[in-house]
Amino acid sequence: MSSEATQPGDIVIRLRGVGKTFHRGSESLRVLHELDLDVQRGAFEALMGPSGSGKSTLLNLIAGLDHPSTGSVEVCGQRVDQLNEGQLAKWRASKIGFVFQTYNLLPVLRAVENVELPLLLTNFSAKQRRERAETALRVVGLSDRLEHYPRQLSGGQEQRVAIARAIVTDPEVIVADEPTGDLDRASADDVLTLLERLTKEMNKTIVMVTHDPVAAERASIIRRLDKGSLK
Amino acid sequence: MIPLKYNIRSLWVRKTSNLLAVFGVALVVFVLATALMLSAGIKKTLGATGHDDVAIVIRKGSEAELASSIEDPTVGLVTSQPGVAQVNGRAAGVGETVLVVALEKNGAAGFTNIQVRGVAPEATLLSRPFTIIKGRSAKPGSDEVVIGKRLEGRFRGLELGKSFDMRRNRPATVVGVFSAQGTSYESEVWADAETLRSAFGRPGLVSSIRVRLNSASAFEGFRAAVEQDKRMGLEAITERKYYDRLSEGTSLFITVLGSVIAVFCSLGAMIGAMITMYGAVSNRVREIGTLRALGFPRVQVLASFVIESLILSAAGGVLGCLGAVAIGSVEISMMNFASWSEVVFRLDPTPQALGIALVSAGFMGLLGGLLPALRAARVTALAAMRG
Amino acid sequence: MNTLVLSARNLSRNRFRTGLTVLGVVVAMLAFLALRTVIYSWTVAAEVAPKDRLVTRNKVTFIMPLPKHYVERVKQTPGVKATTFANWFGGRDPNNEREMFSTLAVDTNTIFEVYTEMKVPEEQLATWKQDRTGAIVGDVIAKKMGWKLGDKVTLISGIYFAPPDSPWTFTIRGIYAATARSVDRSTFMFHWNYLNDRVPEIARDQAGWLISRVTDPSQTANISQAIDRMFDDRDIQTASQDERSFNASFLASFSAVLKAIDIVSIVILCIMMLVLGNTIAMGVRERTNEYGVLRALGFSRNYLATLVVGESVSAGIVGGVAGVALAYPLIENGIGRWLEENMGMYFPFFRIAPGTALLALAFAVTLSAVAALIPAWRVTQLDVIDALRRVE
Repeated sequence: MSSEATQPGDIVIRLRGVGKTFHRGSESLRVLHELDLDVQRGAFEALMGPSGSGKSTLLNLIAGLDHPSTGSVEVCGQRVDQLNEGQLAKWRASKIGFVFQTYNLLPVLRAVENVELPLLLTNFSAKQRRERAETALRVVGLSDRLEHYPRQLSGGQEQRVAIARAIVTDPEVIVADEPTGDLDRASADDVLTLLERLTKEMNKTIVMVTHDPVAAERASIIRRLDKGSLK
Repeated sequence: MIPLKYNIRSLWVRKTSNLLAVFGVALVVFVLATALMLSAGIKKTLGATGHDDVAIVIRKGSEAELASSIEDPTVGLVTSQPGVAQVNGRAAGVGETVLVVALEKNGAAGFTNIQVRGVAPEATLLSRPFTIIKGRSAKPGSDEVVIGKRLEGRFRGLELGKSFDMRRNRPATVVGVFSAQGTSYESEVWADAETLRSAFGRPGLVSSIRVRLNSASAFEGFRAAVEQDKRMGLEAITERKYYDRLSEGTSLFITVLGSVIAVFCSLGAMIGAMITMYGAVSNRVREIGTLRALGFPRVQVLASFVIESLILSAAGGVLGCLGAVAIGSVEISMMNFASWSEVVFRLDPTPQALGIALVSAGFMGLLGGLLPALRAARVTALAAMRG
Repeated sequence: MNTLVLSARNLSRNRFRTGLTVLGVVVAMLAFLALRTVIYSWTVAAEVAPKDRLVTRNKVTFIMPLPKHYVERVKQTPGVKATTFANWFGGRDPNNEREMFSTLAVDTNTIFEVYTEMKVPEEQLATWKQDRTGAIVGDVIAKKMGWKLGDKVTLISGIYFAPPDSPWTFTIRGIYAATARSVDRSTFMFHWNYLNDRVPEIARDQAGWLISRVTDPSQTANISQAIDRMFDDRDIQTASQDERSFNASFLASFSAVLKAIDIVSIVILCIMMLVLGNTIAMGVRERTNEYGVLRALGFSRNYLATLVVGESVSAGIVGGVAGVALAYPLIENGIGRWLEENMGMYFPFFRIAPGTALLALAFAVTLSAVAALIPAWRVTQLDVIDALRRVE
C-alpha cells in the first residue's frame, strides 16, 4: 500500500481540469476527463488502471510530449501546456528523464555513449559529458559495463543504463512507462530499488505507469485511473 | 504455388522503395535501348542504301569512295565487263566523284565534313531512289546543287536558295532538296560531276564506278573479271556489302560504347534492386515463416521472391523502352568514321533493340533478386513464432 | 561521441546493406570517372596543343591539298619561325589490315623542327634523312607491330595506288618518343620526296597541309590572318588557325557523341542518388521508434533531419573516396593503357584529370546530401507519441 512522503515537499506537478480528446478522422475519443492532480517533490507515484484508462496519455502530458485539450499542466513551475513544440523540446531536455518499457537504447551506441546522448543538448565539453555519463552509470551500478553494446547486456542491465540516461542531465522529474514490463522478477526488483533510491537520496520525483501490483507496492502513492478519471 | 497476388500486393505495400528500384532499372534500359536503337538506325540508313544487284568498284585498299581514285579510261573498261545490265544499248554504269566539304554547323561551333557527290546525267541508268521534294533538279554543267533532305537546315549554306563555296568565286547554289527513301544519300550534296571535278582540280579522275548488274548472281562473274588484272588494282564489292562495311565501324563503336555504359549502369540498378529486395525480405520474415509453417516448400519461396524481383525489373524495362521509343523521332548527326563525313541518323526502334533491352532488364531482375530470394528461402517455420 | 559519430554509426546498423550501398556509390563513381575521362582524353589534344603552332589547310576542306610552293611564302611570313608540311598517305600494313595508325609523308628537314615534342636520337635522324625510303615510327606502334630498326615494311594505300610489282616499301630508320602528353605515338612518317616521285603528274608538288611555329604565341591570330590574306586572290585559298582551335573544330564533328556521353555520366549519378536515397529511406522507416526517443529526450526536428543527411553523406564520402581510389588502377592503368595502345589515334593520352577526381568527390558528397532530403523531411514530420508507440 501507499506510504506518505516523509516530508511535506513543494508541489512539483500540478494538473487542473485537464482533459484530452483524440480525433481520428471524424471520430473523437475522450481519453481524459477534467482531472486534477498534485504531485509532491520526492514522491514515487504509481499510476494504475486497465488498458484504455488513459494512464499513458496522462504521463505524456506530464512529460511535455503532448498538449491537453482542456485545463492546465504545471510542471516544475512551468505551464507546459503553454509552451510550443520547440520550447517543449528544450524544456524536456533539462527537466524530464524518460524510462521506457522497451528500454529504447540506441543499439549502435555503447552503454556510456547512450547515457551521454542527452548531454549533446547541453554546452558541456566532450570530457565533461563523458565524466557525467560515467558518474550516472556508477549510480546505477554498471561501471563495469561502460563499453558494452545494448545487445551484450541483459534486460535488467539495459533498463539500468536507461535509468542512468534518464538522470544524467539531473532532471527534476522522471517519467517511467511500465519500466518493469519486460523484466523477470529479480531484475524488476533491482530496477525498482534503484528508482526508490532516486527519490529518497536524490530527491527526484517519479511518476510511474504500471499494471504490475508488485511494482506499485514499492511506490509511495498509488493512484488509479479508470475511463479517464482519477479514483 | 504461392499466389501471384501475394507478390503484387506485397510490392505495392512498399511502394516508394520499389518505385525507386523500378526507376533505376528504367534508366538503365533507356540508355541501353537508345544506344541499340542508334546502332540500328545507323545500320538501317546505310544498309538501305545498298542493293545486291549494284556493284561498286573502287581502288584496292581504299576504305571508302572518298579515299579512292580511278582514271577515266578505266570506267569504260569496267562497264563493258560481263554481267552489267544494258538499257537501250547503253551499259548501266557510271563513274562518280566523291569529296567532302568543310561546312559550319548551324547552332554549334566548329566545322564538319559533308559529302559531295559529283553525279553525271547517265546516273539515272542506275535507277537509284531519288525524288525532288522541294525546288528542282540542278542543271547539268552548272554550279547548281541539290541536297539530301536530312541535311536541310543543319549546316550553313545548305538551304533552298542559299549557297556555299566550292572554290574561290565558285559558289554552289542549292536549287533543290531530294529524298532517297531513307538511304545515306539523304546526307549528301549532289553536284554536277564535271563541275565538281574541275572545281577541285581533279580532271580525268573519278572516285568510284557504280554498275547495275543483270541480277545479283551476276556479281561473282563481274568481280572476277574486274579484279583479274592486278595491275589495275581494283576492288569490286556489292553496294550492300560496301555500305555494311561503312557502317560497321561506327555502328560497332556505338554498340560497344552503349553496352559498356549499360553494364556500369545496370550494376548500379541491380544493387538498388538488391537492397530493396533484401529490405523486403527482412521485413517479411514472419510472413515467410508463416508460409513455411503452412507447408510451402523452400523452392517455392525462392521462386516467389525471384518472381517479385522480375516483376520490378519488367516494369522498369517497359518504362525504359517506352522512354526510348518516345525520343525515337530525334535525328542525330554523327561523324561516320569510315567515310570521314557527317551522316544524319535516326533512332530506329527495331524489335531486336527493344527485345535485347527488355531481356537485359530481366537479367537485372534475376541476378539482383537471386541473393535476397536465397535468404528468404532460408527462413524457417520457427520464424513465424518469434516475436 | 557527437552528432557526426551518431549519424555515421547508424550506418553500422546493417553492415550488409551499407556495404551494398557503398558499392553502388563506388560503381557510380567508376563509371562517371571513366566516361568523363573518355571525353577528356578525346578533347585533351585540343587543349594541350601548343599555342605557338598554327595549321594552314585548304580553305574548302582539309582533304584537298595545297600547292607546295605555298610553303616558301608561308615560311617567310613575319612572325613565323619554321614551317613544315605533311601529306596524308592513308596506308595500311597488308599483313595486319585491321591495325589503324597515321601514315604521313613529311618534309624530313623541317618536321622535327616544328614538332619538337617528338624526340628521335641523332644518329637515327641522320640515317633517316639519308635513306629516301626510310621511315620513322612511334614507339607504341613499333612495339605493336614488332618493328625494329632496319626492318623492311610494305604498306598499301587507297589514295596512292602502287602496282603489285612495285609496292610502297620502307625501311625503319628511327623510333620516336614523345615528351608531351597528347602526342600520338603511333605515327608512321616517311620522305615526302619518295611519295612525290611516284605519284602521277597531276598529283605532284602538293602539300596536304602546312604547320608553322611562330615566335610569339600571342600573335598567332594575326599571323594566321596574314597568311590567308596572302593567298586570298589565288584559286586555291587557305584557312589558317592555331593548332588548338584546329583540333577543337575537328572535335565538333563528334559533338553529338560527346554530348551523349556527358548526359549519360549524369544519368549514372542520378542512379547513384536513387540507390542511396532508397537505402536511407529504408533505414529511416525502420527506426521510427528511435527517432521518437530522441525527440522525447529533447532533440529537435531539425536535429533529426541533420542525422539523416549526415548518415547519407557519410556513405557518400566513403563510396566516393573508395571509388576515386579504385579508379586510378582500374581506369588509368587498366583500360587506359589498353586504349592508348590499341586506339592511340583517338586516345593518345587516357589519364584521369585531377579536376575530374575532385569533381566526382564533390558530386558524391552533394548528391548524397540531396538524396537524403526527402527521407530527412519525412523524419521531421514524425509525431513523437506515434513514433514512440511504434515497435519494431
